[in-house]
This record gives sequence, structure tokens and C-alpha cells, in this order.
Amino acid sequence: GAAVPGGGGSRSSVGSSILVSPRQKGNPVLASIKSTPWEYSDIPSDYVLGSTTCALFLSLKYHRLHPEYIYTRIRALQNRYLLRVLLTLVDIPNHEEPLRELSKTGLVNNVTVILCWSAQEAARYLELYKSYEHASASAIRGQQKRTYAEQMVEFVTVPRSVNKTDAIALVSTFGSLREAINVATDGTTNGEERLGQVQGWGEKKVRNWRRAVEGAFRVGK
Amino acid sequence: MSASSAPQPVKLSLPLVYQQKLFEELRKEDELVILARGLGLVRLITNLLHSYDAAGNNLIVLVNAEDRENAWIGEALAEHTAISMSPKARGLTVVNTDFTSVGTREKMYAQGGIFSITSRILVVDLLTNLLNPETITGIIVLHADRIVATSLEAFILRIYRQKNKAGFLKAFSDNPDPFTVGFSPLATMMRNMFLRKASLWPRFHVQVAQSLEGKKKAEVIELEVPMTDPMREIQTAIMECVELSIHELKKENTGLEMEDWNLDSALTRNFDLMVRRQLEPNWHRVSWKTKQIAGDLTVLRGMLQSILALDAVSFLQQLDTIHAAHKPAPGTTRQTESPWLFSDAAQTIFETARQRVYSSKQKAGPNSTIESLKPVLEEQPKWAVLADVLEELDRDLYFEPAVRDDSNGTILIMCADTDTCRQLRDYLQTMHIRPRTAKKVEEVYDPEEDKPSGAFLMRRKLRNYLNWKREFAQVNNVLFSENQKALSGAVDPRLPQARGRGGGAPANKRRRVRGGGGIGSNPSRHENGSIIQHFEKPNEVADLMSEIQITEDDAGGQAAEELITFTTTTAADPLEDMDDYYQLYDMQDLVVIHAYEGDQDEHVLEEVKPKYIIMYEPDASFIRRVEVYRSSHNDRNVRVYFLYYGGSVEEQRYLSSVRREKDAFTKLIKERASMSIVMTTDSHVEDDPESAFLRTINTRIAGGGKLKATKATAQPPRVVVDVREFRSSLPSLLHARSMVIVPCMLTVGDYILSRNICVERKSVSDLISSFKDGRLYAQCETMFLHYKNPMLLIEFDQNKSFTLEPFADLSGSLRSVNPENAGANDVQSKIVLLTLAFPKLRIIWSSSPYETAEIFERLKTLEEEPDPIAAVRAGLGEGESPEDGVNEGKGVGINGGTFNMEAQEMLGKVPGVTPKNIRNIMAEAENVREVANMEVEELGRLVGREAAGKIVEFFKKDVLEDHSG
Repeated sequence: GAAVPGGGGSRSSVGSSILVSPRQKGNPVLASIKSTPWEYSDIPSDYVLGSTTCALFLSLKYHRLHPEYIYTRIRALQNRYLLRVLLTLVDIPNHEEPLRELSKTGLVNNVTVILCWSAQEAARYLELYKSYEHASASAIRGQQKRTYAEQMVEFVTVPRSVNKTDAIALVSTFGSLREAINVATDGTTNGEERLGQVQGWGEKKVRNWRRAVEGAFRVGK
Repeated sequence: MSASSAPQPVKLSLPLVYQQKLFEELRKEDELVILARGLGLVRLITNLLHSYDAAGNNLIVLVNAEDRENAWIGEALAEHTAISMSPKARGLTVVNTDFTSVGTREKMYAQGGIFSITSRILVVDLLTNLLNPETITGIIVLHADRIVATSLEAFILRIYRQKNKAGFLKAFSDNPDPFTVGFSPLATMMRNMFLRKASLWPRFHVQVAQSLEGKKKAEVIELEVPMTDPMREIQTAIMECVELSIHELKKENTGLEMEDWNLDSALTRNFDLMVRRQLEPNWHRVSWKTKQIAGDLTVLRGMLQSILALDAVSFLQQLDTIHAAHKPAPGTTRQTESPWLFSDAAQTIFETARQRVYSSKQKAGPNSTIESLKPVLEEQPKWAVLADVLEELDRDLYFEPAVRDDSNGTILIMCADTDTCRQLRDYLQTMHIRPRTAKKVEEVYDPEEDKPSGAFLMRRKLRNYLNWKREFAQVNNVLFSENQKALSGAVDPRLPQARGRGGGAPANKRRRVRGGGGIGSNPSRHENGSIIQHFEKPNEVADLMSEIQITEDDAGGQAAEELITFTTTTAADPLEDMDDYYQLYDMQDLVVIHAYEGDQDEHVLEEVKPKYIIMYEPDASFIRRVEVYRSSHNDRNVRVYFLYYGGSVEEQRYLSSVRREKDAFTKLIKERASMSIVMTTDSHVEDDPESAFLRTINTRIAGGGKLKATKATAQPPRVVVDVREFRSSLPSLLHARSMVIVPCMLTVGDYILSRNICVERKSVSDLISSFKDGRLYAQCETMFLHYKNPMLLIEFDQNKSFTLEPFADLSGSLRSVNPENAGANDVQSKIVLLTLAFPKLRIIWSSSPYETAEIFERLKTLEEEPDPIAAVRAGLGEGESPEDGVNEGKGVGINGGTFNMEAQEMLGKVPGVTPKNIRNIMAEAENVREVANMEVEELGRLVGREAAGKIVEFFKKDVLEDHSG
């Protein structure tokens, strides 16, 4: 359900809710913040999303009319906050020029540009920043567990033209990947022929597979 | 040309008038040649190359040749050299990944000759001036149809033309289709290649027609073979599935232009590609289901082909594999099976395919054991026809043996691929037909009682299939049981049974003949309505096995005998070394089976000199090759038998390919007629790089002020680019904006814009995958170690929609923002995690590579130019010398390791291998095979025991073994 603005109640809500500048009143983004509580507060940025994170909201439509506005706002932030998000709503078709400018602005003024294409998506970012304030980054460090089948398919399908069906046919013919690799590099035509007999493996796939598994990592050495 | 003023001292091998015309044209001027397939493109090119080669003092570069073309051209050039005995000819040198040392390449280029260079190496060598564009005599481009504006080859030609206006440039294609797509495509393509003249040679060109039809034509006999009823039924069912899939696609994507999406176009060659291309611009937006269906179409089209090409047993086996591969992924809650699998037609496909192999009488109770399976083993109808034709040819040879001409008595059978070759070889070896050498036949066999049949072959196949299927059930179980368990409520009927088998199976897994099969008898359906795989009861299978076993034994006895006779007379394996085989057999009595292989087929014709050709599958270009062959040799008679399944997809495809080519040429001729004016005005606008450069400086000074001091020293803006990035179009676009591209082998970052700015480029799909495997996180870590301003560039495709919104989870549920499983959901949540982890990381959003080039230019202003040497050193550990990457004086070269990206990427996918330890592994092991064969002790020293354990387990895991093993 929708969170009640300022609805902190008994416990201090500052820790768990998004702080919103009164300037944002009327921004449809607020109506889309549904899974995280928020409240108005007198802050220099538009949103405070954690002790070291804040966000400024910019609609490109507005930016086109008032190009100076955003620079004033950034200046007002001074050097506060470690992560300063410039949440930019792409709501005009000719976005190229303003985005070129913002890329440079981000670099010069130390802000991170995040683009969104709807109020819902903007709200999603705000909610995520708030709720991930203390989250672990393990999900993007490649520490997710996956099944052997997935890993095997990913590995086998690296060479071009080899697909998922081929991968399964390959291991089911030779049992293990080690076996499949050794057959490929048997060196004799027999190896190639055996690979070629795998369901769906034509010459091209056999060649690509061989090249991938027996090609040296670093030829120049 | 060489000193002699006499007509060329070279001997050419262009017997036909149109070939000679074309050759003269090409010697005279630069042009784009589009020649209909089968009219001898490679022959033309080799003759042209040889004429230059023989003259000597040349540096000619062949661009965009495939491996096999390199081999053909190399061989043909050597042959030419031998024939015309030209002392200066040096043949073809292929520069690919094997030639990696910068020094070697430099020396080779200095010597001159003809080089075929991999585009990625060539572009780098041109940019680093290792190969000075001004020293090039000329460039010959193959597959001109693939040269789009942003391609690497277009980039190469631009560099070449900027510095070298005098050298020749000739482009070739035998595929007119791509030139007809889009707005005035021919003109655009020619502009990409800096060419002003197009020369079109369709089959209906007057000179071509005269050359091929003037003399005695090749005799062609068409044989329409009817499909069997089950085949037709399956084909109809597959088409129904295709139609259903198209219907679903249309329903899902109402906003798209889909007039062309119908069954008819589904039959033409690249419908799935067409659909994909049409979806491309919206690929990010299209639902998961749409992608699934687009993939399904590829599978279904494959099936349409295999129903005709594969024998009944192999087809069934393929269906089993396809079915297994389309199982739901683990943990997914959405409907993951393809829609077509739910249709009645799918049931027909699976059912009928099985009934072609064996049938069962189904009685009331599902547990009844009385029912029995009988082998049906339907043969491919073409087999019998093939046998008939061969017999007819026998008679022919016997009764009128002496037609005096230059051909051998050889019978050449042409088919689609090596798989079919193998099938035909097996069939001919085992079909009990009398051997072709007539005398023997009369003595040994009575033709009446020994009709050719594939029964022996089919029995053998069925036996293998049943064995395979038993193992496959196991594999399936090992691979997918995790998934099955994950699916809530879905009970896999095979599971308990499979486990039971695991315990009781005999030790020798490959001979587990009576071990057991499965429960479930007729194709039933999962709870969710999709078809489950069919598994026979153990005793049924055993019965079936014993039945074919018995008949097999006596058939086997006969066959063994026959095999011996056959090896001396028939059936050459295309995989065997041709040379050996020419020595062993007399050409007169051979049947040669060969797969269509593009221009190489000409060579086959010349070598084999067949008297009879049987085209087992239709191929329009091969017919032309026969025409060319026949017209080129007055004294060789050829009779062609042309087999096709009536009313089949094969037939329609053949007809439509002929029609499409004709249409394409007609369009091209029209466009060319209206183009000449445009091209002349265009020709003057050749961009002078220097003036363009001045322009950019001017605008920059106007806006940048302080810049003057550094820029006035005429140092053009410079970008250090990782050599791997040359796969993308961005380096080319940066170059087009007058930036100096310095190719380097970078360890950190993709583009170094200044001393401080380092950019990691990710397309949307890269972004998603590099979040998944943690690569991006590691890359950001190392960028921050070496640069002050690391940036992540999220680059969208020019033609794809510029938005990430469709990836967002906008459900608004509390679960979707739960920090407990942070980053598990949409891309947005991962971007949030990344920016939280690296608050100083800047993100550039670019709607296309063109935009990126603009943004880069802007980011670079006021910044100090990057230092290539420092960029290369960044990220290299101590003791690792940067010499791999930097080549003194010449700027920076490439090291070969770079070019085996595939091997590195594969290694990266192995569980246990991390972006950090991958280096240690590659330092020690030569290739993937070596890693795959390492044991824990050895690997442990490189990556630590834990990781080593994971790696070894990954490679060793045997899906045929039981879980315990």
C-alpha cells in the first residue's frame, strides 16, 4: 500500500524512510514510491537516500527550458554526500545534446548520472537506493550459485554457432567435458569424426570447438 | 606490370567469354562486382590475383576472406604459378593469429606479395603504420555484401583511401540479397567502399547466358520423389507449429510491421533471422516469451530440414535432444516451455516420428506388460531412388560403355552436408545392392531376390539409438533433476525410477542393454500441459532389442562379406584424404560422395571429371557450376540426376532461392540505372582529414578557451583503445571524428581518453552478463587502482530503443526491494549496488556508438592526452613486461594472446576461475585442454585448493555416471 507522507509514528522514521525536499511536491515520482516510507524534510538535495547518499531529480523537459537550474542545485550541495545521484528523467525525444552535456557535468561536478524513462522507474531507483543502503554487493560480484547444467551450457556455448541443444548433446555423448575436450583434440580424423557424429554437430561447429579448446591462450608468448 | 611490353606473360584459366570480359574490366578499373552464385567467383579472383602476382613488386591485400577461401585461393595461386612458370610470383601469405610477432609481420610486409590479413590485425597494423597504407598496391575485398558503414572493413578502406588515392580497390560479392535491403542500399554500400562503379552479372546476363547455353547443354533429369505419409504428416505438423509460433509472436508484438510474417516466408532460408532483425530495435522491450518464440522458430526450421535429411531414427534422436534442451530452467516460475510444445501438432510430431521407428500395440492398462514393440524402421524414400539410379547407370555403363570423351566413368553424388554424406555412404555400403562392376554381379547375385534396402543400416541405428536413449535418460536426470525439484508441485514421473536404475545397473554403463527404460508409455503430458518425453518400459525395450538383435546377426554376416567387396568399388569418405584415395582406386569405377561446399565444388568437378552427377539435394548454384563446367569443356559429357521431395519444404526453398536471386538482381539493375548522377556529385565530397581536423579544433577553441596552448602544437586528440574493442564500431567512429586511435593491449579499461579518464564500455547485454559473473565489479576495482576518473559507458545500439525501463521490476512489491537478496532482480537493482559500491564511478549513457564518439570528444576537452605506454602498463603485475603490448617506435602492437578471446572467455566461464586467478592459469597452461586435464594438486598451486577443486570437478563431472560416482 502507499506510504503515508510523514507517517513515522512512534519510532524515529529518519533511519528507514526517504527524506524528500518540499520542492518535490507534485512530482508524480512521489506517488510511485510504494514500498518504502518517505517524509518531507528540509534538505539541500531533492532526496536523501542514506547517510552518505543523496539524489537530485531532473526532467530533461525542464532542463531544456531552464538549463542553469541544475547547476545551481549541484552547487548548493557543496561537497556533502559521498554518492550524489543525478536522477534524470528522459522525457523528450531529442535527448542527445542534453545527455552529452550531462556526461561532462557528471565528471566535472562529481555527480553520478542515472537515467530513467518513467516516474515508476525513478521511484524504483529511489526505493532501491534507500533499501540497499547497507546491502551487500555480493550479487554483483559473481557469487551467485548456479547449477552444473547452466554452467556447462555457458561454457560449451562460448564458441560461435554452438547452441544449448548442442551442448547437451555433447556431454550426453561423451559423459564429461574433459572427455569431450580430449576427443576434440585427439589430433586424428577419428576424433573429428566422433565429434561430427554428435547429434547436430556439423563440420563448422566441430572446427570452432576444436579451435576454442586447443587454441593457445597467448599465442605470442 | 613487369618490364616486358608483350601481352601478359601469365596464363589464365578463364575459358568462358563472360569470364574474360569481366577480367578485362577488372584489370582496367576499380569496381564492385556482384556475380551470381555458381558462376566462378573464386576462379575469377585467383586469376586476377595471379596476374598481379606474376608481375611482381606488389603489395596486395585481400580483405574479408574466410579460412577456407584462403586455402582455395592459396592453392589455386600456387597452381597458376607452376603452370605459367612466372619467376616473380610468390603466392598467397595468410596473416592470421598464427603470425603474431610484430617484427615478423613488418618484415613480411616489406617484402611484398599477396597477403590475406584478418581484419582485426590489418586495422591495427594500418593504424600503427606497421603496414603503411601508402605502400599498398591494391586491396581486394571479398564478401562485399557484409561491408556496412560501421564494419571493420569499411574502417580499413577509409584508412587506406585517406592515405592512398592511387592504389586499386576492387570488391566482390556473390550474394545480391543484402544489397537490396533498405534505402538506396547499393549506393550506400558503394560509398562505404569508396567505389563508383558496380558491375552486375546475374545468370540472365546476356553474355553469361550465351556462354552457358550456346554449346551443348548438360543433360538434366529431374526426379521427384514422393515423401512417405508419416513424413508428410510430420512436415505438416511442424508447419502448424511454425504458424502457431508466428501467431503468438504477432499477438505479443502488436505494434510491429508483420505483413511478411507468414508461413510462406517462414520456409525461405532466413526467416528466423528476418524476424529477429525486425524485433531487434525493440529487443530490450520484447517480452521474454517473444524471445523464446524467436528461438523456437530457429529450432522448428531446423526440424523442417532434418525431417528430410535425417533418417527416421536419427530424427527421433534429434527430437529427444531438442525436447530435453527446452526444459524449464531452475527456479523460474513463469511458463518457460515453448508454446508449440503445448500444441496437438507437437504431439503429432513426436508420436509420428516414433511410429516411423517402432510401433506398439497399446492395450488397456498402463501397467500391462503384454504389449509389444515392433521395429518399423521407415526408410528415406530417396534411398531407393538413389539405388535405382545407380542401377540404371550400371546398365548404362555396361551396355554402351564407349562414349569417347574426356570424363571418367565416375559417378558423383552431391548432398547438403557431411552428415548426409556419411548417411549415404553407410547406406550404399549396406544396401545389398550388387556392386557396380557388372561382371561380378551376374555371378554373385540375382537381382530379383536382393533388392536394395536400408534395413541393415536402420537396424543398426535403432540399436544404437536404444542404447543412447538409455544413457540419455540418465544424463537428462543428472542435468535437470535439480530443475525438476525446484519446480514446485511438478512431479517428474521418471525420477524414482531413474534412481532405482542407478542402483541396479550393470557395471559397464555402455552395455546396459537390459538395465531398464522408463515408466510412462504413450506421450502423456506434464501437469502444466506440455508434452513429457516418452520412455519405453524396460521389458518392451528388451523385446525390441532382442528382435533387432537376432535379425541383426544374420544380416550382419552377410553385410560383413559385402563390405569387403564394396571398399574396392564404391563409397569414398569425403573426410578421407583425397590424395590417398586417388592412388588407391581407379577413377573409372568410383562413386564419390561429396557435400556442397560453395566455390570448392568447381574444383571437385574438375578433379573428378564425373560422367554422371546425382544431386541428392537441390542446390541452385551447383547446377550453374555444372553448366560452367560443361561449357568450359567441349569434350566432356555430363548427365545430371536431380532428386527432390515433391511438395516438400526442400522444393519450395529451392524455387524461392532462385526467384529471390533473380528479383534481387533486377532491383539492383534498376537502382544502378538511376544512380549515376548521385554518385558523380558525391565523389567530390571526399573528406579531407586535415580540413576536418581543423574544423573540429576551431569549434573546440571557440568553446574551450584555454585549450589553445596544447592544441596549437598540432597534436591531434588521441584515444588509447584496447585491441579487443575493434570488434565494435566505436573505434571506427572515433577515427571518423579525426581522433588518433592508438591500439594497445590494455589490461585495465577499454578506452583511455586522458591521463585520468578510463572508460569501460558495456552494451546492454554485456552489462547484464558482466553483472552476473562479477566481471564488472572486478573491472571497476582495477580501474580505481589506476585512474582518477573511471567511467562506465552504457551504450545502446543505434537501432534499438534507448531505455532500460523494460528491465525494471515495477511490481512495487516489498519483496522486490528486500535488501536480503539485493541485486537478485532487475538491472536497476544491480546498477544501484554498483554505484553504492563505487560512489565515484561516473556513468555515461549513450544511445548509440555515434553518440559515444561525440561524448568522448567532449569529455576529452581540457584534459591531458593519454600516455599509451602508461595505459599498457596499468594493471600489469611486477615482472610482467609490457613489451607484449608496446612496440618501440611503432607505437603499440598487438600480442597474439589477444586474439584468442574465445579460449579466454571459455576459461572465464569455468566455476572456480575468477578474474583474478585467470592470469595465473593462463601463464601456466597452454590452452583449455590442458586446464581440463589438470588435477587438483597441479591447479591448486596456481589458484588455491578450493578453486582448483571446483575447476576439476566441473571438467570431470560425468553425466553418464550415477550421482554417487
